Amino acid sequence: MSLKFIKAGMQTSIQDAGRFGFMHQGISRSGAMDPLSLQLANCLVSNSINQAAIEVTLVGPTIEFMQNLSIAICGAEFDLTLNDKPVFNNETIHVNSGDVLAFKGLRKGTRAYLAVAGEFNIESLFGSQATHLTAGFGGYKGRQFGENDVLEIVSPREVELRDLPEAYRPTFSGNYLLRCCEGLEAEQFEQESLAAFYDTSYTISVDSNRMGLRLEGQAVPLNAPMSIVSSGLVQGSIQVPPSGLPIISSVDGQTIGGYPRIANVISADLTLLGQLKAGDKVSCLSVSRQKAWQCMEEKYRFLNALFSS
Amino acid sequence: MTTLSNINTSVPNISIHWNGDSAITLFFDAEAGEDLTRDILSLAEEYKSTFSESLIEAIPAYQSLTLCFDSQSIDPESIETSIKAILDNGFNDIATTTSRVIEIPVCYQGAYAPDLSSLAEYCKLSVDEVIQQHTQATYLVNMLGFLPGFLYLSGLADPLHCPRKKTPSLHVPAGAVGIGGNQTGVYPVGSPGGWHIIGQTPLSIFNPSAKQAFIAQPLDKIQFVPISIEQFEKVDQEQI
Repeated sequence: MSLKFIKAGMQTSIQDAGRFGFMHQGISRSGAMDPLSLQLANCLVSNSINQAAIEVTLVGPTIEFMQNLSIAICGAEFDLTLNDKPVFNNETIHVNSGDVLAFKGLRKGTRAYLAVAGEFNIESLFGSQATHLTAGFGGYKGRQFGENDVLEIVSPREVELRDLPEAYRPTFSGNYLLRCCEGLEAEQFEQESLAAFYDTSYTISVDSNRMGLRLEGQAVPLNAPMSIVSSGLVQGSIQVPPSGLPIISSVDGQTIGGYPRIANVISADLTLLGQLKAGDKVSCLSVSRQKAWQCMEEKYRFLNALFSS
Repeated sequence: MTTLSNINTSVPNISIHWNGDSAITLFFDAEAGEDLTRDILSLAEEYKSTFSESLIEAIPAYQSLTLCFDSQSIDPESIETSIKAILDNGFNDIATTTSRVIEIPVCYQGAYAPDLSSLAEYCKLSVDEVIQQHTQATYLVNMLGFLPGFLYLSGLADPLHCPRKKTPSLHVPAGAVGIGGNQTGVYPVGSPGGWHIIGQTPLSIFNPSAKQAFIAQPLDKIQFVPISIEQFEKVDQEQI
């Protein structure tokens, strides 16, 4: 009752919706970088929506199934094969014991989520099965998968084949607009700095990871060094260190921040952070906080329509 | 009602600011220390009981408290008012538990203290004087954060202040005791780090699968106690 990693991929780990309520102890949320794709994959195999799945990053794994299973893959588009025959994202797939699923070339996006109809035999730590990669706990032995690792699956179910309606299939162009609302220290930036920030088309740096996305391009001009009172660092915060090159904090980011925050990616757009990779282009668009709340409400409505169908 | 601008409360010295679209940070214009930390923790408890499930995180820092809300279960338009009402009506102090003094054994010798002599040189002190000053003080745990179980401590003696390394070390082991700027602390897990490593504790600062995952909580006091390499290795083996 298991699956085995013939090849592990670049950073393949167990992730769910993450940990909530432990930031005051230094424990960042961890969990899926793109929780929307995780939820869609879970939906296709009739799991609870935030259940743990396998997060695949840039270079995917090759997996042998040791039992019959229903699976689904959402998020980044890889060339997928099952026993060398093409299979696709966004639909339920039945696999048999001995079948081999391979994630080949990456076409679009950064992270894919492989959900399995059943549960991983993994203990929950701090309310979640997610792998906390920076601190080395949770998930499969506190780490990403390696070659020949075997993941046990309990209570597998065979589910009806279904596919995602067109409206729920995201496209990842590599060129994105991130909607942002005012950051905690935005008022401390000069007009010129704010204007430069919102006018710049940034490139995602290779030094980006699950802790944060580093932006390259025109540095935000800072005429004087800025010092701030450190405070809770929420996901999507865009900090400007003395170099002027912004950093967007993400799920594994530190819990308390020391650099001024110029802006915050709105909650409705946070899932996109999981699909950004080195070389992608992003621009930030300033929106009001009311607009951010509206976007979140629309997103919930949109998803509820699918999950309740 | 427009909530675009950050409003000040009528409670002196506390200001309320949005931190993104689903979190609010309160800044306290008062000196960091035991009294302020107690106030911040008390307020955090008050908000937890008021907002219950809709409050996902309450993150205290030296002079701030950040409240993160579940955007699905709150009315963002009214949240500022509710936060302000509690400040206006006053809040209860947390039960004053006698804060513990936790002893952390530290080996300040050999390979466990790679940066000790360079730090001593920078501070114009002898190695023994650095150890003496570091172990003499009692440090207050202001908050946990940055890494799981990392303790933000205050009380480092002025002569030991030393700017962070220009180039951070790629790997600092769990248990390493460092000094960076005016702060000292223990790395709870292995990570890159920019602090000068002056010693190492064999104790687990963060143990996720233990009942007591964290060695200390805010308002506890920390006392570093020097141990020899032999004692370090003995404790280290007992823990396995």
